[in-house]
Amino acid sequence: MIKSKRFSVLAGLSVAGMVIAACAPQAVIQTQVVQVTAPPEVQEVIQTQVVEVTSAPVEVNTAFTTPHPILGDARVRQAIAYCTNRPELIASVYPWASEEVQAGLLMDTNINSASWASYSGPEIQTYPFDPEKGKALLEEAGWTGEPFRSNADGFPMFLRFTTTTAAFRVTWASVFEQQMAACGIQIVRNHVPASWWFGSESGLVRRDFELGAYAWVGETDPKGQTLYACNQIPLPTNNWTGQNYMGWCNEAASNAIQAANNSLDQAERIEQYKLFQIEFAKDMVSLPVFQRAEGNAATLALQNFKPSATEYYTWNSHEWSLTDGGEELVLGLSQEPASMYTLIESAAVQRTVAYLVFEGAITQYNYNYQTDLQAEIPTIDNGGLVINTVDVAEGTEIIDATGQATDAEGNMVTLSAGVSIQNENGEVVTFEGGSAMMRQLVVSYKFQDNLTWSDGEPVKQADFELAYANDCNEESGAVDYSTCRAIESVEFTGDTAFTVTYKPGYFAPLSFISPIGLYPSHQVLSDGRVLADVPTTEWSSLPEIADTPLGVGPFILTEWNKGQSLVLEANPFYWGGELAIKKITILIVQDTKSAVAQLLTGDIDVIGSETLGAGEEVQTVLDNQDTLQVLIEPSATWEHIDMNLFIP
Amino acid sequence: MATQAMVNFLIRRVFEMAIVLFLSALASYTLLSFAPGGPLSFLTSVQIRLNADDIARIRANYELDLFVPVRFTRWLIGQPNGPLYIGGQLIGADVVVGCRIPDTINVVENGKVVTREAGCRAGQDVTLLDLAADPTRRQVRGVLFGDFGLSHQILRNRPVWTLVESRLPYTIQLMLMSTTLSILIGVPLGVYSAVKQYSIFDYIVTTLSFFGSSMPTFFFGLLMIMLFALYFEQWNLPHLPPGNAIAVRDWTMGTFMGDWRIEAGSLADRALHMIMPTTVLTLFTVAGWSRFVRGSMLEVLRQDYVRTARAKGLWERVVIAKHALRNALIPFVTIVVFSIPGVFGGAIITETVFNWPGMGRLYFDALGRSDYPVAMALLMITAFLTVVATLVSDILYTVVDPRIRLS
Repeated sequence: MIKSKRFSVLAGLSVAGMVIAACAPQAVIQTQVVQVTAPPEVQEVIQTQVVEVTSAPVEVNTAFTTPHPILGDARVRQAIAYCTNRPELIASVYPWASEEVQAGLLMDTNINSASWASYSGPEIQTYPFDPEKGKALLEEAGWTGEPFRSNADGFPMFLRFTTTTAAFRVTWASVFEQQMAACGIQIVRNHVPASWWFGSESGLVRRDFELGAYAWVGETDPKGQTLYACNQIPLPTNNWTGQNYMGWCNEAASNAIQAANNSLDQAERIEQYKLFQIEFAKDMVSLPVFQRAEGNAATLALQNFKPSATEYYTWNSHEWSLTDGGEELVLGLSQEPASMYTLIESAAVQRTVAYLVFEGAITQYNYNYQTDLQAEIPTIDNGGLVINTVDVAEGTEIIDATGQATDAEGNMVTLSAGVSIQNENGEVVTFEGGSAMMRQLVVSYKFQDNLTWSDGEPVKQADFELAYANDCNEESGAVDYSTCRAIESVEFTGDTAFTVTYKPGYFAPLSFISPIGLYPSHQVLSDGRVLADVPTTEWSSLPEIADTPLGVGPFILTEWNKGQSLVLEANPFYWGGELAIKKITILIVQDTKSAVAQLLTGDIDVIGSETLGAGEEVQTVLDNQDTLQVLIEPSATWEHIDMNLFIP
Repeated sequence: MATQAMVNFLIRRVFEMAIVLFLSALASYTLLSFAPGGPLSFLTSVQIRLNADDIARIRANYELDLFVPVRFTRWLIGQPNGPLYIGGQLIGADVVVGCRIPDTINVVENGKVVTREAGCRAGQDVTLLDLAADPTRRQVRGVLFGDFGLSHQILRNRPVWTLVESRLPYTIQLMLMSTTLSILIGVPLGVYSAVKQYSIFDYIVTTLSFFGSSMPTFFFGLLMIMLFALYFEQWNLPHLPPGNAIAVRDWTMGTFMGDWRIEAGSLADRALHMIMPTTVLTLFTVAGWSRFVRGSMLEVLRQDYVRTARAKGLWERVVIAKHALRNALIPFVTIVVFSIPGVFGGAIITETVFNWPGMGRLYFDALGRSDYPVAMALLMITAFLTVVATLVSDILYTVVDPRIRLS
């Protein structure tokens, strides 16, 4: 009798084993640390307290605001900052980087120094490595003893440091642990799977940490309202909504970050961000550790290769050329785009390809804005942006003082008694009934006149109308409809022009970027239907949308070999003129080592930061600068350590 | 009589296979359903403000608003897709199968506030009628009927089978080649080592076997890439492509007879791309299989019937090939047959190192990006092939060993 049951059981177990094995955490990697110290600097010590959250509309139960016994004291938080030798942390993860590059990765506030909103004046409290100062602050706060401190009640200075299992985080976290130990702070590292740390019902969202390290991606517009405003603290009472994971509520900072995100005047915004950064640095609730480095590499023959921290490196592919007169390029990409349907897919790899096929309305090179498909940036000065004062009747749909078109449950906000609004002067007031004078934004968007689809059909008004109808249909599968919900009406005034009237109270700084794109309304699908007639729920599975869409960008996606490559050919109808590069092949190479090997053998011509990253492979490309151009720069992504002021 | 026994055996085994597959599916689905992360994780990594309705809409996109057993049966057999329609009447339209927005309760446990689901908010139930009437909901057919569902991440909102189809030929190509070579090399090596036990040849093979089986494939793969792709090119020697299944543009390979122009996608191009990954896999497998065959052969060579065969004066070659090898290969059949799932499942590490667009890389990618429909499909394919391999090995036993009877 054959023991077949054993095999059957083994089969079942092997499958379950594969699942479990796949979920296993990564191994810890040890690295050598380069000791770099910064000169000490005397700083004024400011003590802050956790402020009870009272701002509308979030109701907060005070039972959940008991300060953290250690981190609730600002002196302790500042001591942690002084005891952190950030240059040493940087050197631990980027040993290949020059001192100059490493120095460029340091940051003192939440805004990257290259940003227009960054402020570095004397009011910003900085925390250069100064363990003696850190120790003094801890003593002052009542934490004494060796080797690890405790307070007068014998409560040990013991903090749980949570972060992911990513190798480079393990590296710098182990150095950080040593640095804290030198100051008498006992750190226990808790490396958890990213799926738990960033899970929708665990980790950060539930504020289940004491010290927590992760990264934010900086943008051309610093935003920050969802991260630092008082009403954005995830709590059990607000169903854990918001991203202010530290539980930080500093009224001045909160008001400043909200004002900065509710103004169209850049000078005013800079001033508000300055106020915010001063408070942010002073309270030390989130220690900016460093900006990540990122490397881009390309063959020396490629001209006009201009990667930027705030834009995908293909943003200017129409300017690319090869010195040897070649017309073909091969780009390596670490991940395959999930879909070319930009509405439902926003990964960096998708955007990298999307720029080749569609281009952008406005590009964001080097923390600034440039026109692209949009012929001009609407401003108050050029008349493209008009602020009207309107008398709004009760019951009218509006945008509330926090910039939202819907309440927490998803109902449209209407002007009704008790609603917090911004009046015609931009002041936050509570509406008490009757009517209210509010500001209303009317923006005229003008696209390039000579836009032509890659099949030769000129762009027309129906294309924009289709985009508005589809993208703002809440069955389309998009994640965020907040801009659509802020629109009161749209008037299409020409083939490539339209005017959007936003709801009263909408004052988003980025309203100069068109909220409406374009789709080829004339396109006939393989099944004979016209795109404009296809229900929005089907769009994400249409090959003509998801695989080989028509575009107005410099290249046409002609072939997609799943798992292997995408082939793009020059668009003969490109509005920007003839291209020097006639064909681009995108090779999907998941493993960075493999991508670098292919770059060195000449099988690949370009790899961007999303593929090259900033690991040891950068050293390999740096060693081959005789054949490659290598561009290393501070990324917009910055690592930081959040300090949880009160754990719910 | 023997035929009847075989039919009975097959019926019983197919029934057992179905149970094993069901349990595998249930275990895998349950584990993945409760794994942290998932398609909503990205919401924490972008600056975004969503209201409860937005979150409910996004959950519904991934069917996360349906109860796990309902999701499981929809995935497995494509039911329920809505209420029954019998005689003009809708049966079970109001049956609740999920919840759009759960109610929550906050409790303090060990000094921490824990939020638990506590029923469904009023009016937020998902009923069978909703499944049929909501245009954003997909009518599913179930894995049993060839519908593996839609990919969440890798090929968003498009059939998982499209992904599998695109990867399967490359994996079969690579694994079949490596398995065949492993048999062709591993068996003779093992046999010869056993016959020439303790000879220099045996020591060399044994040493190489230990080397091959202990050398991690990723390391060996990278070593080969460095040597045969990078350095050979630098030294103007005939070099191999460092990765991929085919080149995306024509390339030149320097040889002693001048430069050879290799056309992208040609047979030569494909063959050259296969050399390194096949070699790595083959060496690894040969190392293990040759040791196995050697051990099995040594055991058989000590048997009385082999001694008898020799005593009868048969040629040594006949003794080895006919009397010893056939018996030594009986346990080896199991090993070879159980490599069938691997032929379709691919080799995760080797495929990653050589950027081979196969199933192993896809599985790795699916787990890494929490694309559970894709991971589930691959797990089910592996489970199916494993139980089929079990059956095949049982049947083959009877072929290679007449003493074994199916009963």
